[in-house]
Amino acid sequence: MTAAQIETVTERLQPSLVGVIAGKEIRDAVASKWFWMWTVAFAGLAAFMAAAALPGSQVAGFGSFGRTAASLVALSQIIIPLMGLTLGAYSIAGQRESGALRFLLSHPISRSEAFIGTYLGLAVALGATVFGGFGVAGVITVAQGGGADASSFVRIALLSWLLAISMLGFGMLISTFTRRGNAALGVSIFVWLVFAFLGDLGVMATSVATKLPMWGLLVSAVLNPVEAFRLASLTAFSGSLDVLGPAGRYAVDTFGDQLGWILFTVATVWAVIPTLAAWARFSSGGDV
Amino acid sequence: MRVFVVVLLLATALISVPVASATPDELIDFQALIDDAAPGSVIVLESGRYAGGVTIDKPLTVLGRDWPIIDSEGRGTVIKVTAPDVTIEGLIIRGSGASLDREDTGIAVDAPRVTIRGNRLEEVLFGIFLRKASNSVIADNIVGAKEVFIANRGDGIRLWESEQTLVEGNLVIGGRDTVFWFSEDIIVRGNEITGGRYGLHFMYSDDAVIENNILSRNSVGAFMMYSSGVILRGNILAENFGPSGYGLGLKDMDQVTIEGNRFIGNRVGMYLDNSPYDHNDYQYVTGNLFAYNKTGVLMQPAVKRNVFSRNAFIENAAHVGIASSGKFSGNEWSIDGVGNYWSDFAGYDAGGDGIGDVSYRVDDLYNTLTDAHPHLRFFQDTPAAKMIALAAEMFPIFRPLPLVEDDFPLINRPPMKSFHGGDGGSLNVALLLISTLMIAGAGMAVLIPSRRRRSYPNKEAIT
Repeated sequence: MTAAQIETVTERLQPSLVGVIAGKEIRDAVASKWFWMWTVAFAGLAAFMAAAALPGSQVAGFGSFGRTAASLVALSQIIIPLMGLTLGAYSIAGQRESGALRFLLSHPISRSEAFIGTYLGLAVALGATVFGGFGVAGVITVAQGGGADASSFVRIALLSWLLAISMLGFGMLISTFTRRGNAALGVSIFVWLVFAFLGDLGVMATSVATKLPMWGLLVSAVLNPVEAFRLASLTAFSGSLDVLGPAGRYAVDTFGDQLGWILFTVATVWAVIPTLAAWARFSSGGDV
Repeated sequence: MRVFVVVLLLATALISVPVASATPDELIDFQALIDDAAPGSVIVLESGRYAGGVTIDKPLTVLGRDWPIIDSEGRGTVIKVTAPDVTIEGLIIRGSGASLDREDTGIAVDAPRVTIRGNRLEEVLFGIFLRKASNSVIADNIVGAKEVFIANRGDGIRLWESEQTLVEGNLVIGGRDTVFWFSEDIIVRGNEITGGRYGLHFMYSDDAVIENNILSRNSVGAFMMYSSGVILRGNILAENFGPSGYGLGLKDMDQVTIEGNRFIGNRVGMYLDNSPYDHNDYQYVTGNLFAYNKTGVLMQPAVKRNVFSRNAFIENAAHVGIASSGKFSGNEWSIDGVGNYWSDFAGYDAGGDGIGDVSYRVDDLYNTLTDAHPHLRFFQDTPAAKMIALAAEMFPIFRPLPLVEDDFPLINRPPMKSFHGGDGGSLNVALLLISTLMIAGAGMAVLIPSRRRRSYPNKEAIT
């Protein structure tokens, strides 16, 4: 973006218009089958995990929330990226394909307003899914007499939402590169595969094959936003990463008390960069 | 208790107790009281502050009433005992020096048949240190360590060549180890040791009975080396999570009985290195609970002749692991057709005899990988790790040799006492509130924009 472009962007950003578009986006989400499918799937799985993780803890009264939290993090690691990526990927490309985008931009609405409105609307919709699911899991945990630290529960929920909007950013970035909704969906599912599975497998294989040093393992792990989220969440609920063997121990020894903040910052950077890139690309012009 | 009161009354009747005439800041001369007392007599200390750094060099009974404080104000050892048959009871012992070289201690004993009961030790480097003090009793004391870096702390309780000693009902908080050197036939019972380095540490101490202790949140719960004939029964080893983080570690041990203990939430529940040591010896591990540990039982690959039966393995990240790569075999997972309970056993029991009809096997490829490459544990619980385990199950060519093969897995968990109900019992109001708020917030976020549609301000303008 050139300076002049930034100026036009800031000039033509009316909060009320952004709000209208965000509201429309939320209404579209609520009206769509996708949104409800994700919400029901996430809340249902979270509830199931809370219910399944707890009865065992009655054996000893130990580890009750640790297990719920660990399963919630694992669940978030799979479902939330898929949710964020597909919603984001379909947003602009789908509207472009159907002509809705052309119609929208024929009104006195700037591209930035359209982009930010869409982004905020989807971010709120994703937040509703995430917090709804976590809320259900929390109520079930309490109903079963589980002991959980409410503040770490909130932190994990917030981090999950951060992951969701990070993936939304990646999805919208994909969306700005594709002209057809289905193509964007296809690409986003491949990216999801990389983030959720192949990235970790690749780092594991590399570290065994090349005897990667500990810091190399750490850095290559957080190059994957989903992994950055997982590490930040683990730190948030267990206070440290030393459950993760020697590499986790290394991270704790190197960064000490700062570890949580560092991982949170990395996760935030992963939320900001793709979104800014998508915004820049979308508002820099091109066909609608 | 009644006996205690009678003794106390008797003691006050017999001995003239010097009234504290000193000003509150001044310490009462405890050594002078000791020097004046006849051997075998009873000294009763009223509440007040007494000077530490004393030596008890004759058989005496020192009883504290209303918690008198013996303070050596951060210098040297607070009470030295050099004569046998000494009893120290009901004192607050405070402020030893901080020199590990001089072994500054709360109560240091160099003579047999000493009883140390019901004292509180505060800000001491070593707590209670028995040297060649056989047939002694250390009971119901509370030992609190100096708040210094763990490597600079002393041992809460340390026995050196003190046979047939009873260590019972003590609470040791912080400190380094509670350690027993060359002390045979000791009984360690009902103690709680928390926040230290090695909760219990045995070196060359045969035939000990260790029962009903709680060893929690230490770096290592109990580590036992070079001893034989030890009985470990009914202990709770929980949340020991140091760098090695063993609930119980055994190295070069023989004839150990491990029965009815609970290993919960440790990095490693039980670690076995070259135990049993003797090639003819079998080690029996029965009726224990291994739950929520990162690894339930971790063994060196060369370890053999361990027999596991009626144990419950519940929700450990890995029930059994080997500590380095190597061929692992020669342990048994059942006795006379009775195996163990495994929380992830997916078999069935058509016969209804409580024994699974198919074997339970541990052959997870991911766990095999992390045993060989510990740094891969970094990816524990990730979808990728699960995928590796799944791939090995679907393509048997990748399937590793089983670590565990229990031919008689139990269908139901063996009955076990539950404990630590504190966390689970009460309703978690904070979490309930926050969860409800989350659901409400989520509902509002999607519903408010939808409702506004009906009163959309520009609707008339558009139509």
